[in-house]
Amino acid sequence: MNGFEHATPGVLVLLVIAAGLLLRELVRVKGGYLHSIRRIPGVDAIEGTVGRCAEQGRPVMFTTALTDLGPVLYACLGVLQTVAKKAAQYKLKLIVPQYSPEAMALVEDSIRAAYNEVGRGSSFDPQSVVFLSSEQFAFASGYMGLMHREKPGAACLFGVFAAEALVLAEAGQQVGARQVAASVSPEQVAFFICTCDYTLIGEELFGASAYLCREPVQVATLAAQDRFKFLLCVIVVVGVVCATIMSIVPGVQIPMPHDLISAGWEALRW
Amino acid sequence: MRTRIIRTATFLGGLYFFLYFVCPDATIEALGLKEGNEPISNGFIVIGAMAVGLGLFNLVAKHGTQLIFKRQGWPFSLALLLGLSSMLVVTTGQWIQGLRTSREIRAAQVIGEFATRIVDDAQGFAEKGSAGVKSIGVDGKIPSLKIRVGALQQYTETQIARVTNQASDMHHTWSNQTLLAELHQSAGELNFAVSALGTISGETLGAADEQTLKTFSQAAAKFSSLYSLVMRKESGRGLIQRLYDLLYQGVFIQLGSAMFALLGVYIAAAAYRAFRIRTLESALMMTAALIVMLGQIAFGKHLYEGMPALRQWLLEVPNSAAFRAIRLGAGVAGLMLAIRMWLSIESTSSSSRKK
Repeated sequence: MNGFEHATPGVLVLLVIAAGLLLRELVRVKGGYLHSIRRIPGVDAIEGTVGRCAEQGRPVMFTTALTDLGPVLYACLGVLQTVAKKAAQYKLKLIVPQYSPEAMALVEDSIRAAYNEVGRGSSFDPQSVVFLSSEQFAFASGYMGLMHREKPGAACLFGVFAAEALVLAEAGQQVGARQVAASVSPEQVAFFICTCDYTLIGEELFGASAYLCREPVQVATLAAQDRFKFLLCVIVVVGVVCATIMSIVPGVQIPMPHDLISAGWEALRW
Repeated sequence: MRTRIIRTATFLGGLYFFLYFVCPDATIEALGLKEGNEPISNGFIVIGAMAVGLGLFNLVAKHGTQLIFKRQGWPFSLALLLGLSSMLVVTTGQWIQGLRTSREIRAAQVIGEFATRIVDDAQGFAEKGSAGVKSIGVDGKIPSLKIRVGALQQYTETQIARVTNQASDMHHTWSNQTLLAELHQSAGELNFAVSALGTISGETLGAADEQTLKTFSQAAAKFSSLYSLVMRKESGRGLIQRLYDLLYQGVFIQLGSAMFALLGVYIAAAAYRAFRIRTLESALMMTAALIVMLGQIAFGKHLYEGMPALRQWLLEVPNSAAFRAIRLGAGVAGLMLAIRMWLSIESTSSSSRKK
């Protein structure tokens, strides 16, 4: 970026627009505006899988895998709370294997909050949140061991995954668990599609929580991200049109959107 | 009140990183944000280290209970706790041994540095006068040259005696004697250089004295590097290091590799399930996979000349487009959630505890 190690004015403008869109949607939603959310079969299946566990009397497994503190974990916690509430209502054993000790504290707190919310705070067992290892394959082998010993009826795999994704999903497949997976790592999505019953792709992970609880703040976030994504798509289309015109008409020079966005602060000094 | 403090701290923390990301370098320096970066990064490391303790506590509590009450699967818990404690003991032992070895190596390394410092200080005196030289010693003055060289001689003799004693002890257990012989030879050379230091008797450093000190410094550097090599080899042969190698390299790494190797089998199993043509989507997946696999091998080119190009197109155009779309969507969603976290705009379900 021509000597600049940080965000450019273009990026700053985009960030301000993103924040503005979020605040606008929050105001609208709190004012009573209702957004419609399209059906996502994978998210619909989450509640069904927990119900299936209740019928079979088998535990429910939920893992955030390699997810560390950050927005992805925050998104996973929303779904985990829904699963934990259902597990508490149906008096099911919930097992949450953990990779990151930092995330573990948040996960435990979220589950406790979910149990309290449905009035079953005393049923919460802190030992249901199991720290396995901070090593990728040690975690995978621990997860496999748990899966084979506990034989859960359903497994939710939400978060960031790497090479261990298939090992985890295959372990669930071997014990006949109904599996719902969601990953922001596109490389692992293919493995989940092959192995799991339902797969949420990319941003659907972030939308799952809003879809499940229809809570105003989460719905507003979902609406804002859709609008911002639309804006980015418009920028992409404008860029494609500009590039096409420049390649068809020789000698024509149109400023490209990505040049405007990546121009450094020096561009502001006329 | 508690919530307000947390929200303010979150906002200020987020503001720091936002400004650090957004502002140009010059502004960051003007705002004094650059100096704060290192302590803040260290703070994250400290928090991370404390969280590891939390994980350890959870492991011990969970598996300890399992073991004490002999619940189902207690032998697994026993194996885990045994592995954990033995690794903790061995790693701590290795750390202590490493500290001791480094201290011993350092004690030999300072000999050459001491000699070089005497020459540097003398040159500083000659060029800039006493003001140009750092004050050392109890009263803030540099001791006389004679005293410093005398101290260097005494210290070096002590170190040579210590190292030769250590090397003699190792003599019986080392199968490769060449390195020890070289160390002994180097100790002899350094001894010779030490005796030459006796010729430095004046209060100012002459050209001949300087040369003597430089020769001594070279001999000391060779001696200390050989000693460092011997000590590292020796610590590698110790019981603690061998136990560590057995547990970490021999067991842990190998088990990790075994888990990774399982992926090969699982990929085949998953591919079998995915490529059974039952729907239009699985038919498309099967066709794409066939083209990519055939385009990768010579047989594919034999079947159809354009197969490698077709494979390349599939990977670079539809596949990349899908990857970028997924990444863009996830990135935007992550950004929105990050803004929400920064501004502490919590959903009611996340904030239910404080109610």
